[in-house]
Amino acid sequence: MNAPHRLARGGLIDRALPLSFTFDGQAHSGFAGDTLASALMANGVKLIGRSFKYHRPRGILTAGSDEPNALVELRSGARREPNTRATTAELYDGFIAASQNRWPSLAFDIGAVNDRLSRFLVAGFYYKTFMWPAKFWELLYEPLIRRAAGLGRAALAEDPDHYEKAFAHCDVLVIGGGPAGLMAALAAGRAGARVILADEDFRLGGRLLAERYEIDGKPGTEWVAEVEAELASLPEVRIMRRTVVTGVFDHGQYGAVERVNDHLPVPPEHEPRQRSWKIVARRAVLAAGALERSIAFGNNDRPGVMLAGAARSYINRYAAPPGRRIAVFTNNDDGWRTAADAHAAGIEVAAVIDSRAEPPARFAALGIKVLTGAQVSHVHGKQSVQAIDVIDSAGRVARIACDALAVSGGWNPAVHLTCHLGGKPVWNEPLAAFTPGAVPPGMHVAGAANGALTLAECLHAGVAAGAMAAVECGFPIASIMMPSAQDEASGVTPLWHVKESRAKAFVDFQNDVTIKDIALANQEGFSSVEHLKRYTTLGMATDQGKVANVTGLAILAGVSGRAIAEVGTTTYRPPYVPVSFGAMAGHHRGKDFRPVRLPPSHQWATEQGAVFVESGAWLRAQYYPRAGEKDWLETVNREVATTRGSVGVCDVSTLGKIEIEGADAAVFLDRVYTNTFSTLPVGKSRYGLMLREDGFVMDDGTTSRLAPERYFMTTTTAQAGRVMQHLEFCHQVLWPELDVQMVSVSEQWAQFSIAGPRSRDVLRKLVDEKYDLADKAFPYLAAKEITVGGITGRLFRLSFSGEMAYELSVPARYGDAAIRAIMAAGEEFPITPYGTEALGVMRIEKGHVAGNEINGQLTARDLGLGRMMSKKKDYIGRVLAQRPALADPDRPTLAGFKPVDRKARLRAGAHFLSIGATASAGNDEGYMTSVAFSPMLGHWIGLGVLKRGPQRMGERVRAYDPVRNGDVEVEICNPVFFDAEGARLNG
Amino acid sequence: MASFAGRERSALHGLGVPGHYGRAGTAGLVIEERTDLALASITAKRGKRFALVNAVNTAFGVALPDGPRRATRGSVTFAGTGPDRWIASAEGSEAAGFAAKVRARIGPFAAVSDQSDARLVLLLRGPRVRDVLAKGVPVDLHPKAFKAGDVATTLVAYIGLQIDMLDDAPTYQLSVPRSMAGSSWSWLNASAAEFGYDVITR
Repeated sequence: MNAPHRLARGGLIDRALPLSFTFDGQAHSGFAGDTLASALMANGVKLIGRSFKYHRPRGILTAGSDEPNALVELRSGARREPNTRATTAELYDGFIAASQNRWPSLAFDIGAVNDRLSRFLVAGFYYKTFMWPAKFWELLYEPLIRRAAGLGRAALAEDPDHYEKAFAHCDVLVIGGGPAGLMAALAAGRAGARVILADEDFRLGGRLLAERYEIDGKPGTEWVAEVEAELASLPEVRIMRRTVVTGVFDHGQYGAVERVNDHLPVPPEHEPRQRSWKIVARRAVLAAGALERSIAFGNNDRPGVMLAGAARSYINRYAAPPGRRIAVFTNNDDGWRTAADAHAAGIEVAAVIDSRAEPPARFAALGIKVLTGAQVSHVHGKQSVQAIDVIDSAGRVARIACDALAVSGGWNPAVHLTCHLGGKPVWNEPLAAFTPGAVPPGMHVAGAANGALTLAECLHAGVAAGAMAAVECGFPIASIMMPSAQDEASGVTPLWHVKESRAKAFVDFQNDVTIKDIALANQEGFSSVEHLKRYTTLGMATDQGKVANVTGLAILAGVSGRAIAEVGTTTYRPPYVPVSFGAMAGHHRGKDFRPVRLPPSHQWATEQGAVFVESGAWLRAQYYPRAGEKDWLETVNREVATTRGSVGVCDVSTLGKIEIEGADAAVFLDRVYTNTFSTLPVGKSRYGLMLREDGFVMDDGTTSRLAPERYFMTTTTAQAGRVMQHLEFCHQVLWPELDVQMVSVSEQWAQFSIAGPRSRDVLRKLVDEKYDLADKAFPYLAAKEITVGGITGRLFRLSFSGEMAYELSVPARYGDAAIRAIMAAGEEFPITPYGTEALGVMRIEKGHVAGNEINGQLTARDLGLGRMMSKKKDYIGRVLAQRPALADPDRPTLAGFKPVDRKARLRAGAHFLSIGATASAGNDEGYMTSVAFSPMLGHWIGLGVLKRGPQRMGERVRAYDPVRNGDVEVEICNPVFFDAEGARLNG
Repeated sequence: MASFAGRERSALHGLGVPGHYGRAGTAGLVIEERTDLALASITAKRGKRFALVNAVNTAFGVALPDGPRRATRGSVTFAGTGPDRWIASAEGSEAAGFAAKVRARIGPFAAVSDQSDARLVLLLRGPRVRDVLAKGVPVDLHPKAFKAGDVATTLVAYIGLQIDMLDDAPTYQLSVPRSMAGSSWSWLNASAAEFGYDVITR
């Protein structure tokens, strides 16, 4: 059962809980507490993937989210997930993982030929190789690049899991659960602050899990457990494991992603897979630790070469050493700990190669072979380390056999989150690292993230930052006994790359960027660090150069003869680690992408078998097919014919409805509408037109006067929100002196249009008898409060169809009862429900403009509504509508169009050309805005805007539609196709 | 003549079917639709705010809240929803013709519109109610930050929301536009499922 490379004892794994998993189909076993990387290491699997460009064999470099190499595909089927870091993927029983970017197999990969072709694949090769001939781009280069690009494969099926978004609020957000973060959380938590401690790992402790440190004389992990227990006992402290803070945003907002159930094969029923958090914090303590960097030398990317700190993680935390005979290459004291820990774990240490002349004395007692002033120049072995070449200060090369090499190039404080609001990190010469510069408001940085690289410093800084954050939130200072821990500084003498190396020496493993690429970029003029990034791709992709960036820019500084501080860093942007699209979308996908609005008759319409159409946020009935009808057109023709011949009903609850009240309500309406409403009598409705400030039409609708100081406005469905916003703006900003109040009542009322010659007969059966509905008593444009079915409603005599028609409003809870009652009352005539299609046909037959015409590009004059622009008063849009270009008589103006061949179909969007004119933009005379098949006329009809259209009645033009191969000769006519004299409105 | 009496449809009709949903066991959340509330929007007329405060005090015995708070006397509540704006609600015998009654009493000082049918109103309580609400409501609902009697107008799942904290149980009252009842319900169901929830009616 025990994996061949697993140490016999130790580690923070649960040996009582074995887990089986497969990698590339091969069965292995690990333990609870393993990551995929540690379990593979315990099984002696070193080759994990192939690199992006050269397809070089790659292993595991790190033990965290900074991993550039060990990217794998997890799971299978719809849950397949590419480019996941094996170093953070928690093992579970039945775990399935596969390598990427290799064919036909990981060990034998055809693409590895790129490694031999690397001369042609240097930095900027896209820009050089694929420049010419230009026609090759679309046919050859782009498909080639697309096929070669990317590593893993996304699942093609819909993700079966649920994701969530959530909000959290706290006084102090502590980012990172290592020694500094734990102390910060404790200091703030004991003070009584609301604390959130977010840690990326599934286990708190940070580096303490990977090291053999003692605190207060106890093993570090024991100390962690005690602090964790106290934090858990504090009611205002919330510990969020598996949670990465991904970004810092304005006003103390932090983005985070919680991997709620990534550690299980399938999330438990009702639980999300991941949850993205917006955390609002008054103060934050960044205790994100530090990230180790490598050194560039020949073949430093071979499987088995790993960062020294990561090697300690695998030895100490996972009992899964990276090899049986380990060499260590370091430029600092910290690398020596790996040798010491390996030695203590009983692993043979082949040698410690320290590039410095004076190694730290405290490790001398280990009795390990030490080479000082020496550097590793080359790694032997193809798919795993076999031996290394070490070159000493005299230039002599010695070969040392080993199966793993731990490298430490020093530590980079994880300054990322300090930079998300524009802060720039500062080069710290003694530390040979960037430390935070100006940090975001409300943020304190503690511990290694701030360049404090000893345990004692981290613990102290954590307490100080946590206490300060709490004090700033108004809490007292809590008493804390400072834990005692080792405080030995780690000296470092920078070494970025080994000059003597001949083979490829990698800086950015994920993007296959070598030191030569950096030198070449500089030579070709890309010496700005931001240009270097774009030209070489250094620091791009999933790891965003966490390991590579500082080394890369230090090498750039070297080749360009500048100081590192002068070169600076690239911009750090969120997210700190990759975020899945699922987490970004949360609940809002599919039918929940955005809220859907349903009108009160929706359930009834569903029962009728209606076909629905999205109309903004609304779902409206488009038409109501009946058995035997062969297509939508037949249905719509029937709905129109029945309405015009008898009666039809349509749910118009979706219209915007606004109540406008106040002593100045009439004045207000006169200013927002082009026409006058102050003269409207109580109990009457009027059609109104609104312009934007720039003189173009914004919206139309009807407004009724319910009382001397009270109006009821309707807007189009599409513009309801915009009109409300416009009215509020006009009142609050332009004319705050007016006594006017407005409130949306769109949701309060169910509103039905009942149209057709029998509409009054239907209403007569519904509206209380005491209300006289005769034409004389309740004429066109009348508006009245009535009772219907025993409840109070409103009745308006309004028509969009051109028929005698009414709009009946009832409180929304009665909308369902009303539509059923209307249908029952109309059955004898007969009655039909009609949808948005028939609505459109009838308004086109009547030449009424709608959204297709009120498209933001046309003026009232263009729409034939110039007469509605009052000359007696001022109103919004009046002045700018008078601009000469808008008054140009040649502007396309509304007209009707009929196909000369009456069988021909018209298409909205077709452009008008004079007969015989070539189809060019210069000859364009306007365009068709709306078309419909008119069952009343028996052929297609259209509305459109045509240059001097109204003056050209009877002329013919071409309706040219190259997109759909349409080219129809049309006759220009009155846009009112049906009942031009309007006789049908009355009766 | 068809009577509509008894044919009211609640905003949750067909959706809020009583029962236990989501994770089995004790419900982390209990949801109840309020169908007995009458609502009226109130906007102070220009320069009439003080007169309005007096009129409300005289007519309903309620000090009109100056901010996002609720004030209740008997079965009538006034909730501040914006500058010079309130939503009044009534239950029981006060509910019938409520908007008209409010208009009759304070009409000279405020615009009043009936909104009784404009909203889906839900009562939410249970041990995990705050965890459920955190999945969509951006407001800090910690008892130190949002107390009984507090009101907020905000968004949930892209839907306009008024949230009131009624008591320290805690009970929250959520009001969303009626037409978006379905989408609101979908969000609430998805968010509450992991804790298990009961849908109840009075």
